Amino acid sequence: MHIALITVFAVTEEIAKAGKSIGLGVGGGLGAVGAGVGIGIIFGKVIEAVTRQPEMRDEITQIQWLGFALTEACFFYGLVAGLLAAFIV
Amino acid sequence: MSTKRKLLVVLAIYVVGFIVIVALTGTHGTRNEAFKPQNEFKLDTWVNLGIFSINKAVMYLVIAAVLTSASMIYIARRMHQRPNRVQTAVEVVYQLMRENIAGGNMSQQMAARWFPFIGALFLFILFSNLIGYIPLPTNTEHEITIFGAHIPSFSLYAATANLSIPLVLALVVFFSFTFEGIRAKGPIGYLKGLVPGGVTGGMAVAIFFLEVLSNLMRILSLTIRLFANILAGHLIILFMGGALAVLLGIAALGWFTIPFAVLLFAFEVALVAALQAFIFATLTAIYLGGAVAEDH
Repeated sequence: MHIALITVFAVTEEIAKAGKSIGLGVGGGLGAVGAGVGIGIIFGKVIEAVTRQPEMRDEITQIQWLGFALTEACFFYGLVAGLLAAFIV
Repeated sequence: MSTKRKLLVVLAIYVVGFIVIVALTGTHGTRNEAFKPQNEFKLDTWVNLGIFSINKAVMYLVIAAVLTSASMIYIARRMHQRPNRVQTAVEVVYQLMRENIAGGNMSQQMAARWFPFIGALFLFILFSNLIGYIPLPTNTEHEITIFGAHIPSFSLYAATANLSIPLVLALVVFFSFTFEGIRAKGPIGYLKGLVPGGVTGGMAVAIFFLEVLSNLMRILSLTIRLFANILAGHLIILFMGGALAVLLGIAALGWFTIPFAVLLFAFEVALVAALQAFIFATLTAIYLGGAVAEDH
């Protein structure tokens, strides 16, 4: 094969690899940013609520874990999309 | 020795050990191409029976199912008037499932009807998550030979870290709440009930399609939430517990990451395993309650 053509193929391969890495980084990284902000808000609000009404503590704790898990799952949606981009597509 | 002194000693051992290993082996290593961390999650067929072939995931599934039913039946058979510690713990879990998960999100009648399903779901997911953190001799790729006997090396794996098992559970949940909604309101009534009251005309059509889509997305979100949580937990324990050091060939990195592996392991066992089972059961109860509720 012509030398220039081989170089072009190698370069496209490298670019594809770079794109996959960027996909994984963006999926995992931005997902973590969003979920981190969300989890911070949840726990902050729970502390606020419990200090205002300590007698509601048990009920608030239960809702807190529900919200925590739902928010945390959003990180995994990003991560799964990133892993798909990096290893499967 | 006080707790503070003990902590300081442990920290000193950690730092000194790290420095010694860096001094002995250096910070540069050669990349290990032979080691494939993704093979930890590969399913090798052990007994070939066509589509009913037995592999690692099937074994974990069976263990979880047997453990769930056997332990609960055993404890229920020998209930004492004055409960011992195990019975108290089970009663707390029962209370949680009955009052909070089922009772808190559904009407009295629905809760009584669907409590066995939700309870079984909760316990099954809890058990399959928890046995995923016990090292079992399942890794047939790397075998240890002791006196001529081939013993599979110990590894961590969870049935719920495989996409298909959460997917089946989510599909069962989806069909349950659709079936329950259709039984309560009739097919036409159920589809009409998807649109919130007071919305009319073209807007109602658009919202109807959105609601159908969001109902279908529930399968996806239930599946991925459980699957990705457990998989990511196992992956990070794997990498912190030595896979990163083996992959990059740097011994000091293994020493550095081991404490994180222990911490993450404790976090996963103590919180994530139970939390994911709780979330799955709670969302099931919310969906079931929402499907029969009069106004959306």
